[in-house]
Amino acid sequence: MAGGGEERNQRRGTWQPYAMLSPGMLWMALFFFAPMVILARYALSEPRDRFSGKYDLTWRFENFTEVFDRYGEQFLRSFRYSGIATLLCIALGYPLAYWIATRGGRYRNLLLGLVVVPFFTSYLVRTIAWTTLVGDEGPILGIAGALSLEGALDSIGITTNGGLLQTQTAVILGLTYNFLPFMVLPIYVSLEKIDFRLLDAAKDLYSSSRRAFWKVIFPLSLPGVFAGTLLTFIPASGDFVNAEFLGGPNNQMIGNVIQNEFFVQFDFASAAAISFILMFIITVGVLVYARIFGTDELSV
Amino acid sequence: MNRYRINQMRAAQTRAGLNRRQFLGRAGAFGGAVLLTPSLLAACGGDDEDPKGNGGDTEPGPTADPNKSTGDLLMSNWPLYIDPTEDGVTGSVDLFKKATGIDLTYNEDFNDNNEYFAAIQPDLANGKAIKPDIIAPTFWLVARLIELGWVEALPLDQIPNAANLLPSLQKPLWDPTGAYSLPWQSGMTGIAYNIDATGRELTSVEDLFDPEFKGKIGMLTEMRDTLGLVLLGLGKDPSTISFDDAADAFDKIEAAKNDGQIRQFTGNDYQDDLVAGNFAACVAWSGDVAQLALDTPSLRFVIPEEGGMQWSDCMVIPKGADSIKEAAAWMNYVYDPVNAARIAAYVTYNSPVAGVQDELRKNPDTVGLADSELMFPDEETLGRLKVFKALDEDEEAQFDDRFSSITTG
Repeated sequence: MAGGGEERNQRRGTWQPYAMLSPGMLWMALFFFAPMVILARYALSEPRDRFSGKYDLTWRFENFTEVFDRYGEQFLRSFRYSGIATLLCIALGYPLAYWIATRGGRYRNLLLGLVVVPFFTSYLVRTIAWTTLVGDEGPILGIAGALSLEGALDSIGITTNGGLLQTQTAVILGLTYNFLPFMVLPIYVSLEKIDFRLLDAAKDLYSSSRRAFWKVIFPLSLPGVFAGTLLTFIPASGDFVNAEFLGGPNNQMIGNVIQNEFFVQFDFASAAAISFILMFIITVGVLVYARIFGTDELSV
Repeated sequence: MNRYRINQMRAAQTRAGLNRRQFLGRAGAFGGAVLLTPSLLAACGGDDEDPKGNGGDTEPGPTADPNKSTGDLLMSNWPLYIDPTEDGVTGSVDLFKKATGIDLTYNEDFNDNNEYFAAIQPDLANGKAIKPDIIAPTFWLVARLIELGWVEALPLDQIPNAANLLPSLQKPLWDPTGAYSLPWQSGMTGIAYNIDATGRELTSVEDLFDPEFKGKIGMLTEMRDTLGLVLLGLGKDPSTISFDDAADAFDKIEAAKNDGQIRQFTGNDYQDDLVAGNFAACVAWSGDVAQLALDTPSLRFVIPEEGGMQWSDCMVIPKGADSIKEAAAWMNYVYDPVNAARIAAYVTYNSPVAGVQDELRKNPDTVGLADSELMFPDEETLGRLKVFKALDEDEEAQFDDRFSSITTG
């Protein structure tokens, strides 16, 4: 009889995890898997005519090669912009997270709250507000003008024709600004877990502060940097809001192309194919990145 | 075509920063993304047999049944395109409700032709009615809807005031039988510029390509406005253009984009860039500039010597609408010159209704508008305006594709 009870327990043990997972699985099935199937279908279809919205599944793989040939430049540009923005986020975010983790003291939570404060405003409104900041008559160029820096900024390519709005600089800075908190928070979490007495230990062994940081603290915080990079780079690659409002016609990203294919051209097949190529490149990129930096420690 | 009428107060707000119009217009880009889902899901049932409309018919079908009536009416129109009830003055919508007892809901949710089309396409393609009883797309979208058989023929015998439609707008290119649409407002596309930034008056389309204004030029994402103007500049007629003949104009726009001459392709938000000084000159719509100039006197609008474009936003009844009687009553109401003049005085575009100029002259508050060259262009100006050709489906796809390859480069 005891054996039967054990068996029952075991059986319960097998279905219980699934029962707990089912809301999430259902969610994923409905809102991730089903759309993927629909999108895949479009990507391999041909439109019957332009406006009926009817597509015939013809397994047309040329959809992929055609859009890749046509929009290769925008793909490259998207990854270049989001890559630079991610590096800028690390450069700005790491010292900030480090400072909060080590010097924040009892204000830590307040400081972290301040990092998140921009999220209380709509992403769209924040980006549109930037058009005023970086506009020709805006404060940033106003300061640059007061310091007589216009010529210098133009010659090193920061501004174009003396303008900042509708340049690649504005798009990259916009991406950096909008995704910075996604970099700061994971780095902070991994720094916070580090036992900083390790620094004292390193110094006891005659390490300089700089060396101790690079040999001890930084490697231990890499999982945070890794997570932050993913959280920044992936959404930034597909972003279209920053390029739409802060970029010019030569700074459009792949997200803008997808938006245009859907809403202006009504070419769902091409739009779906581009979306899949974007997903594919990002997935491969992330796998390679994970391979190099390792995800074993990614338990942040 | 996002064109928002803004009054003096709102123009002042523009300088201060973000305002409602700007927010609405720019948020439109996002609105489209929200609308995407139903369209995708509905269209994925791709094997369904398509209930084909009377697409392509040149003969108008039977008119919508004027006895279809529900007592209420829903119209979707562009924002700031009618006089509102404010400052103690009753607007046209409320006046109409009081006069007729019809419960009119007037929504300003038509932000962009392409986005709106993307939103209504799944229902209309499947033979289902959409909510609004009247919408006012731009002429080329009207042509597309007629071609697809997605609009009802108007019960014109219930709209006696339709006789007030200006002769120049009767049986237009986009609605050759005149059976499906009545213009809401018309307008002109020309060049707007800030004399403080240009330092001289502009007169020609070529001025948009002057290297002196490099990086300070704006053009519209509305292909027919931008391409039409550049075609005129090259001495070509946009009302008869073929795709091959347009190649020069496309190349010219592309070259200007590549070398940084063109700073941005915009929708209605060109107004902000113009007022904020980001644009020295841009392709623009007449009524907007008339309003903006009230607050920024250095802004000018010119129909270039090579010519300008003319467009109309037209009322149509989507297929299957169920308030035909009320829709006819409203169309009749806004085609009364007295009511049309009240609307025109607010929106400052070109009213399609005859007699509006005389009505404006009667009222001391609006007498100045009656002499406005932007609202009532003279014969010489009208003679220089062109309407873009009604492109058929395949041709339009070619044009859109080429133009998009430039604007999303």
